Amino acid sequence: MPAAQFDYIAPTTVDEAVAALVNGGKDTRVMAGGTDLIVKIRHRMLFPTCIVNLKRIAGLDAISVDKKNGLTIGATALLADVAANKGIRRHYPTVAEAAGATANVQVRNMGTVVGNLCNASPSADNAPTLMAMGATVDIAGPSGGRSMPLDQFFQGPGVTALETGEIVIAVRVPPPPAGSGTAYHSLSQRGKLDCSAVGVGTMIVLNDDQCTDARIIVGACAPVPMRTRAAEKMLIGKRMTDTLIRQAAQTASEETSPITDVRASASYRWKMVAVLAIRALTDARQMALRKSTSK
Amino acid sequence: MPMETKTLIGKDVPRTDGRAKATGQAIYADDIKLPGMLYGKLLRSPLPHARILSIDTRRAAAMPGVRCVITGQDIPRVTYGNWRLFPGTQDEYALAMDKVRFIGDEVAAVAAVDRETAQAAIEQIYVEYEELPGVFDVDASLATGAPVVHDTSPTNISIDRKIAYGDIEAGFAASDYVREDTFTVHAVSHAYMEPCACVAQSDLDGRITLWTSTQTPYIVQCLLASTMNMRENDIRVIKPAVGGGFGGKMELRPWEFCAAFMARKTGRPVKFTLTREEELAFGRRRHPMTIHSKVGFKNDGTLVAKDLHIYLDGGAYNAMGPTATFLSGNFGAMLYRYPSYRYLGEHVYTNKPPASAMRGFGAPQTLFAAETQMNIAAEELGIDPIQIRLKNAMVSGDELPGVATISSCGFVESLKEVRRISGWSRKRKNLKTGRGVGIGCYSFISGGVFNWFNTQYPFSAAEVRAFDDGTVHLLSMASDIGQGSDTVLKQILAETLGLKMEDIRLTAADTAMTPQADLGTWGSRVTLMAGNAVLDAANKIKERLAGAVSARYNLNVIFDIEFADGRVYAAGKPDRGMTFGEAVAFVQKTQRGEPLVARGSYTPRGKGLVSPAFSFGAQVAEVTVDTDTGQIQVEKMWTAHDCGTVLNPMAVEGQLEGSVQMGLGYALSEQFVMDGGKTLNTTFLDYKMPNAADMPPGESVCIDTFEPEGPMGAKEAGEGLASPTAPAIAEAVFHATGYRCKDLPITPEKVLKGLGKL
Repeated sequence: MPAAQFDYIAPTTVDEAVAALVNGGKDTRVMAGGTDLIVKIRHRMLFPTCIVNLKRIAGLDAISVDKKNGLTIGATALLADVAANKGIRRHYPTVAEAAGATANVQVRNMGTVVGNLCNASPSADNAPTLMAMGATVDIAGPSGGRSMPLDQFFQGPGVTALETGEIVIAVRVPPPPAGSGTAYHSLSQRGKLDCSAVGVGTMIVLNDDQCTDARIIVGACAPVPMRTRAAEKMLIGKRMTDTLIRQAAQTASEETSPITDVRASASYRWKMVAVLAIRALTDARQMALRKSTSK
Repeated sequence: MPMETKTLIGKDVPRTDGRAKATGQAIYADDIKLPGMLYGKLLRSPLPHARILSIDTRRAAAMPGVRCVITGQDIPRVTYGNWRLFPGTQDEYALAMDKVRFIGDEVAAVAAVDRETAQAAIEQIYVEYEELPGVFDVDASLATGAPVVHDTSPTNISIDRKIAYGDIEAGFAASDYVREDTFTVHAVSHAYMEPCACVAQSDLDGRITLWTSTQTPYIVQCLLASTMNMRENDIRVIKPAVGGGFGGKMELRPWEFCAAFMARKTGRPVKFTLTREEELAFGRRRHPMTIHSKVGFKNDGTLVAKDLHIYLDGGAYNAMGPTATFLSGNFGAMLYRYPSYRYLGEHVYTNKPPASAMRGFGAPQTLFAAETQMNIAAEELGIDPIQIRLKNAMVSGDELPGVATISSCGFVESLKEVRRISGWSRKRKNLKTGRGVGIGCYSFISGGVFNWFNTQYPFSAAEVRAFDDGTVHLLSMASDIGQGSDTVLKQILAETLGLKMEDIRLTAADTAMTPQADLGTWGSRVTLMAGNAVLDAANKIKERLAGAVSARYNLNVIFDIEFADGRVYAAGKPDRGMTFGEAVAFVQKTQRGEPLVARGSYTPRGKGLVSPAFSFGAQVAEVTVDTDTGQIQVEKMWTAHDCGTVLNPMAVEGQLEGSVQMGLGYALSEQFVMDGGKTLNTTFLDYKMPNAADMPPGESVCIDTFEPEGPMGAKEAGEGLASPTAPAIAEAVFHATGYRCKDLPITPEKVLKGLGKL
């Protein structure tokens, strides 16, 4: 494909980046790793007039793990760094696993967690777990900063709640509640290194064996990574038995609206949401129980 | 064979092009840049079947930077195709004349000062089409009143092939057990790492030089000459480094023609480079087939009769389909002794990208069916799958009536070895759901005998020039496309002359500089055929040098002359000899300065219709199946195979691993998702080729055989192994779950449906 023509700006502060976005107009695109953006340009799915690269902004790649404030992943923190970060692996293991399961080594060494979210693919591997853990995104823009729960951030395939001139500068995850457990399961036709055809991320909170909170997020089975609220409700306030998990997983499957595409058929996706939800909920329960017994 | 000490043969000699490729210094076609070079781009049909009413190129031609625009109206009306022996099969034009037959059929070409301008110009060509109804599978194509793809084939069957021997009706009547199945197999991509590219240059006399990513420089030279209305000797085709072919680069292609034609028209070099998306959406593929197979057995598992009927879904043009039709019939009768056999193969046109040669050339499809049916029969007759194979296995000296004689065969040994190394007997008894082992086998050709290209030259040729500094120059048209034949040919020559690898300069695959001719890299022919040609030339050089040493030392005529460590000497008397260079100088003196040069060649004769030699092998797969998701994990592959003398174990291992990777994709994950004639998955994101992380561990054994027709006893090692992986995995899945797949690929969805869970 012929090389696209565009301006390229590499600001060194967030303010400069926001200004560049405002000045550049609607066909200006933000780039972090570029692993989605450049491919789309080469495939002539996007025709930006200007690209604003965030990677020169000092400190934007910071990762911090804090008992009180939780986890913060900066906009240019690499998937590979998140996957390898000791603090994340210890306190947010599923966040690290999801980052480590995204694409392949080369992409993980270039691409970012925040970029994976802003690309807003329904199959984004990092979204379900982060949504399940109640993550929020920090946004900088021409009229100042704001933050927003991640589960309101996605609007449709490739579409986010960002307004013109806005940039996600970090994603924040609150400290995991006591008695919580998380898990993410995904699958695709090719065994490894693949774009997920279905993904299920969950966080559940147990008090003894009572479930006090639950979130189940399904990827690639709706226009956005979606919460299956009816399934969550079935779990809350109840003993998390195998039977209940199976029933909730079935409900989660019924809440989704998958399509048939080149990666899987709708009927297979429906079936797999239930299978993966059982596995994710079972793993999450096990993690929660393990944490409570190790106290 | 007498015991000989070999210094290079049978050794892990590293690839001579390895360093250049690993460091990025190897020159591929797209790396070539010439002064004033233009960039070409093809306009392709967006419709699967349509009549071209008009083409308006005026706006494109008027764009700044555009130097040339051509359509079918500008080029000679000459069809081409590889089956030159039968001109009626040559059904392609470089650019569509009045009809397009698949989405991607080439309609026009542009040459411009840069890629961007060429792309922009392509978008300014306006084609008016009258859309015609299309046919997208064999059933639709063969239906009464179906649209006709080529007027020359009103039934849409372009070619058929029949084989028959033995009394098949009596065979089935005498069978205790008759099994009839229909198998369907799908198209997959060659997915070579280097997309096709070429550069053409016209010299001041109007002669053409074409650098192109090809497996068959000689075929490209001849067909380019005929389509350009030029003389063969006015076309020079050079194969630079090539990043894989697997059968997908063995024909004249439209971009090669367009580059040459526009280079002549503009007087400037023209380059074409295809994108991966073009390759996946419009490129050649492996033939999908519908395979009806009926076999008869005695109760004890003895094969009695086989009736095989195959429809090959050929896509829009013949391409290498006739050869696949021909060979599928032979592969259907290989591996086992069939007292009676009947084959009908029919090649059917459809409005899809043409299928063509691909690693295995009909064998992966036919053997998936044959081996799966053998596994079904074993199950139903209550015989172990390896036992039933041993009962029917071909052995050295077996004959396929009127077709071929099997001169060496290590199949029985392969079966026994693979049974041993895989722990088969123990693993087959394990009936734990979700885990299983299965077997698949193969036999393959070492080059083809049937001269469909109608070459007027030897099948392979070599020239060896010896120098008084102790070096030699090997010239051969054989094409190393990544399989390592340059290294192996040098090994054969160095071993024969007692030289080191670095003593050999190689000029290969340049049709103006290397001896006429070589049919190219396909059908696993290079090691055997080009290897024999090199050996022939080398032996002629040896003869001359031996004479020189004999004369110099006044040796008794009964002395053998040894060639080793860069020296030529009387056997057992190393002091009576000289260095290789001194011996060359001696011969040169006797010829008053005339250099010492010898030519060698190989053409198979008296070897039947199919191949001079056949390889054999058996493979066992162990899988784990997740019966909730249908996902299959291949845990390990065991292979025992007979490729004759192993010239280079490391190269054979590389071929084996590559075959497993390709077989894995064919069995499990690779397929084209089609909507009528449109290919929907045109990137590696959605065309699911297995990658390094998906590769199972493996173990292999090479069976020690000696092929009398092969150079130093060698035969095919690169292609046959593309076949056993899919039937082995399919059988392992059956062993693990009870689900029997007769319709590749074995996707998770099919597994779940097969288990009644979806």
